[in-house]
Amino acid sequence: MAAKLRAPGLYRAFFAFLLGIAFAAGLTWLVRMATGHSTYHHFLSEEPIMAVSLITAPIFFLVGLGGFDYWLYWASGRPTRPEDHSSHGAHTWKDYFRINTDHKVIGIQYTVTAFFFLFVGGLMAMLMRIQLAQPGAEFVSANTYNGLFSVHASLLIFLFVIPVFAGLANYVLPLMIGAPDMAFPRLNALSYWLLPLAGLMMLLSFAAPGGAFADGWTAYAPLSIDAPIGQDFFSVGVQLAGASSIMTALNFLVTIITMRAPGMSFFRMPLLVWANFATSLLVVIATPFIAASQFFVLLDRGLGFNFFDAGKGGDVLMYQHVFWFYSHPAVYIMMLPGFGIISEIIAVKARKPIFGYRMMAFSLLAIVGLGFTVWAHHMFTSGMAAWIRIPMAITTAIIAVPTGIKIFSWLATLWRGVLHLDTPMLFSLGFLATFTLGGISGVMLAMVAFDIHVSASYFIVAHIHYVLFGGSLMTIFAGVYYWFPKMTGRMYDERLGKWHFWSTFVLFNLTFGPMHILGLQGMPRRVPTYAAKFADLNMFISIASFGLGLTTLIFLYNMVTSWRGGPRAVANPWRGLTIEWQVSSPPPVFNFDRIPTVVGSPYEYGVPGAVHGTFAPAPVPATVGGASRGSDVVHRHTE
Amino acid sequence: MVSRRSIVGTIAAALIATAIGIVLSYVIHWFPVQASTQAHHTDTLYHVLVIASVPIFVLVVTVILYSVWQFRVKPGQELEDGPPIHGNTRLEVIWTAIPAMILLGLVSYSFVVLHENEKKPAGPEMVVNVTGQQFAWSYEYPSSATGGAPLKTTQLYVPDNESVHFEIKSLDVIHAFWIPAFRLQIDAVPGITTSYRATPDRLGSYPVVCNLLCGVGHGLMRSTVHVVTPSAFQAWLKSRASASGGASTGQPGAPASAS
Amino acid sequence: MEAASVAHAAAHDDHHHGPPVAHRSSRVEPQLLGMLLFIISEVMVFGAFFTAYFFIRVAQGDAWPAPGTHLPLEVAGVNTAILVSSSFTLHWAEQALKKGNHFGLKAGMLTTFLLGCAFLFIQINEYANIGFAPQDTAQATVFYSLTGLHGAHVFIGLVLLLIVTIRAFRGHYSPEEHRGVEVPGIYWHFVDIMWIVVYTTVYVI
Ligand code: HEA
Ligand code: HEA
Ligand code: CUA
Ligand SMILES: [Cu+2]
Repeated sequence: MAAKLRAPGLYRAFFAFLLGIAFAAGLTWLVRMATGHSTYHHFLSEEPIMAVSLITAPIFFLVGLGGFDYWLYWASGRPTRPEDHSSHGAHTWKDYFRINTDHKVIGIQYTVTAFFFLFVGGLMAMLMRIQLAQPGAEFVSANTYNGLFSVHASLLIFLFVIPVFAGLANYVLPLMIGAPDMAFPRLNALSYWLLPLAGLMMLLSFAAPGGAFADGWTAYAPLSIDAPIGQDFFSVGVQLAGASSIMTALNFLVTIITMRAPGMSFFRMPLLVWANFATSLLVVIATPFIAASQFFVLLDRGLGFNFFDAGKGGDVLMYQHVFWFYSHPAVYIMMLPGFGIISEIIAVKARKPIFGYRMMAFSLLAIVGLGFTVWAHHMFTSGMAAWIRIPMAITTAIIAVPTGIKIFSWLATLWRGVLHLDTPMLFSLGFLATFTLGGISGVMLAMVAFDIHVSASYFIVAHIHYVLFGGSLMTIFAGVYYWFPKMTGRMYDERLGKWHFWSTFVLFNLTFGPMHILGLQGMPRRVPTYAAKFADLNMFISIASFGLGLTTLIFLYNMVTSWRGGPRAVANPWRGLTIEWQVSSPPPVFNFDRIPTVVGSPYEYGVPGAVHGTFAPAPVPATVGGASRGSDVVHRHTE
Repeated sequence: MVSRRSIVGTIAAALIATAIGIVLSYVIHWFPVQASTQAHHTDTLYHVLVIASVPIFVLVVTVILYSVWQFRVKPGQELEDGPPIHGNTRLEVIWTAIPAMILLGLVSYSFVVLHENEKKPAGPEMVVNVTGQQFAWSYEYPSSATGGAPLKTTQLYVPDNESVHFEIKSLDVIHAFWIPAFRLQIDAVPGITTSYRATPDRLGSYPVVCNLLCGVGHGLMRSTVHVVTPSAFQAWLKSRASASGGASTGQPGAPASAS
Repeated sequence: MEAASVAHAAAHDDHHHGPPVAHRSSRVEPQLLGMLLFIISEVMVFGAFFTAYFFIRVAQGDAWPAPGTHLPLEVAGVNTAILVSSSFTLHWAEQALKKGNHFGLKAGMLTTFLLGCAFLFIQINEYANIGFAPQDTAQATVFYSLTGLHGAHVFIGLVLLLIVTIRAFRGHYSPEEHRGVEVPGIYWHFVDIMWIVVYTTVYVI
């Protein structure tokens, strides 16, 4: 036992976690005594202890887990243990529950954790829909309901969409660019382990006195300032998740810039790599703003600062500006990686080069740039200076152009291709349709005069889900099916996959389509009850949503059973050219025996004998007998 | 391999779909009744947006369905590839330029509507002070409106066909003053006064909705706006004045001192 | 899946132990690039706090500093001088190391570290005697937040410097192997520059 407690791992982590709480208690005790809380029993008060523990306990936990061991050795100038790659790779399921520096293991840790939170967040949505099934229902209290949609959104945004993309990219991106691992493997491990903490923190807020944080994922001040302690679980949880995504973004950027295989010029990178490059730029520049916004809230709450206290000269709207300066770019953080996934799948499944590759790359960068110029379209009715609405509306409308370029280029890629309509492709095509709808409703919202009517109504809720579910989640499903063979070495069940797609596609539209009408009709969002005239549509939506919930169980079943018992996957089941398909499924522990050489564009489908990456020592011109090489690359790893 | 007949047929189908879509957009009744001049402008804007959007959506979906129908892998094709087409500058310019123009057109039109809805009317304008607080709305008719002592009340009556300038404050957190029948809303923000103007043009009573999460009572923070004939409005003012003795004392939600 | 990867582990361990060396596709050092990108994030954090400053002081046009309060321009000026000079001593230390002068390195690092501590000490002392609390007004809030945020960065910087100093005294680093000094050094320079911005916006104008 003592040995177990000394060795890095979950035991030590748990022990440290308790220490963290004790530390918080001690700290608050000292401070309160110093600041003269007269009577003794005032020195210990559980709310401050809880608040401080939110910060100390996770840090202690990570130290206990061993997240900092190497750096502590290094910092103290002691000889660091030479990296024997013992911690690399996963040999048993236990290896997924420790600090692991292998980007493939981390990728799977990320993805599985994220999907766990999809199910939790989705389950909350189910509870919300039960409450909303008829007006005046008493299924949950108003406060609980507010907590439900707040946690629902926070989990699905910060613990599902953003991390799951980071997870998939973590797995395939280094393989795609011919890198043996990420640039900073230890940082990579640390940024993963921050996530479960952030997620559990948000979940635990339901147990906090006064209930979960209940003012939406936007947590507008001043409402969030005098909310019960549950709010701190959000403010701190977001800090952890934010720190995690900044670390990952740094890691991706450095990896992409400094670790590409020889011959892999920027314009030979697969579009998934481009997409994550663009996304990481957004994360690095924007995320600090939400961190700051939550610092402000914590300071106002904890120490009585006056950022948002109008009485003392604070500025209430400032919160919204700072929050949306992150959270609008965040919506592209939640979409661009999906664009990358779709580009990979459509090129392979239509057997054609991506149409207008360069424009695809440039439009990503255009979205990054424009993404920082539109934040106040969330504030058209906020009472901010009226003139700001004009430039923001224009930029918001214009941002549809680069997005449109992508949509049309994908369509052109389909044209005269040889379409393989298996599950990943179905989800990609479904995405094109549903996301276009969501985008168009977005463009409508850019039209100020119209937004003034529907802002914060169910029309917005419809938009949210058409872009986040019909957009992000569709691409996520597509990507998971597409790389499932690579990540697990098994094939998924195609029949179940098709069932999953069709049921999801239909029920998705039945669930969220009618919300547009509800909004226009005047139903506000974030209400546990509503006027009688909305009853029928809401009942309809609720029923559809339960079906939608159940469809995700098909997916779950397919993934679990296929992972455990599916037929073995060959190295390159889709005949893809990008490098991750040129190694075995799953890839060897160290990805490659030899770093590959890139000799051509990643999407030369239809060009006889085209090669993108080869493991042959010397680079050779793309056309000369590439085909045979391309194929024996595969064989060398699948024997 | 792309047969002329299939193309023509598809284009026809697409046009029909578009037509149906646009007709539908009129058949479906999207909105609650229009009770203000602003509502007419906004609804027209919406219909224009829908009419602009339908063809775009139909285009995208048509291309998808056509490709699925014509280009899906046929027996024996399993190992074949499509033609290596890398791009086409003319096309790319077109699908950059045309959406850009559509969007700029739409956004400019929306500004026209915005201006229409917000510009000061020629005729007289009545000011009504609105105060939001957890979880109720209260109203004050200044002397300019009552012609006597200011009137504080929790009822909202406005005369037909006369522009009303709502000046909105909040005593605690942010609320939003939304009148769906007018298609208008703005937040009530602590520390500042926000406003919008509406010209009611239909007699009746319509819901006033708090449309910004303001706490547990948010879902119940409702009120009603009664649009009545000018004479009826005057009568109401009088009745209220005598009821509350004209005194503007102790009513819940007296507006916060302006800042 | 476990089975598969084990098999491959076995299959591959016999022809090498450890990953192939990554290809360097850029002349920039990964650590250096990482630090620069991190500094971009840091600049944005300050950016957000300056947004708060902007809204209170410019957008709302409130008096600065709050009526009846006064900011010790001179003391802070001295403090600025201290911090700026610490940048020079740090540079000196780096140069010494490049020349292989290990004593210079140690001396330089130590002075830099002490100057940093002096700065922080004076800053805290200023808080103690400034005569208003962050809870008083929005202006006070912004003042304490901006200077406090910067103070926190000085503290982080000092931790990094301490690490470097310790390692220097334990004889690490050499003219060839000086990245471990440079990368934290960049951070310290950033902290200094940031202070000059804070000083001018908060105290001077
Ligand atoms: C994945 C996430 C995501 C994405 C990609 C988008 C994309 C867009 N969003 Fe959305 N948005 C959200 C997530 C997202 N949004 C969320 C979560 C909220 C609510 C936050 C909250 O309050 O809780 C929100 C809210 C929101 C608002 C605020 C509404 C309000 O609160 O009053 C607005 C207003 O302008 C807006 C606009 C847009 C626009 C113009 C786009 C554009 O990028 C869309 C561009 C795409 C297309 C247009 C389709 C494809 C293009 C073509 C086929 C070309 C031709 C098209 C035309 C000519 C029209 N969004
Ligand atoms: C990626 C993001 C994402 C995703 C995937 C979803 C998925 C869903 N969302 Fe969510 N939603 C948001 C992001 C998302 N949402 C955001 C940002 C908001 C705004 C919050 C705010 O206002 O602050 C919001 C708000 C929101 C509202 C408005 C609340 C309100 O304003 O009052 C509603 C109401 O119906 C809703 C419903 C749903 C439903 C039915 C699903 C379904 O698709 C979920 C389906 C998935 C599952 C159900 C998985 C779990 C399934 C099981 C565990 C099996 C068991 C199933 C049964 C028991 C049937 N969401
Ligand atoms: Cu008041 Cu919601
Ligand atoms: Cu936005």
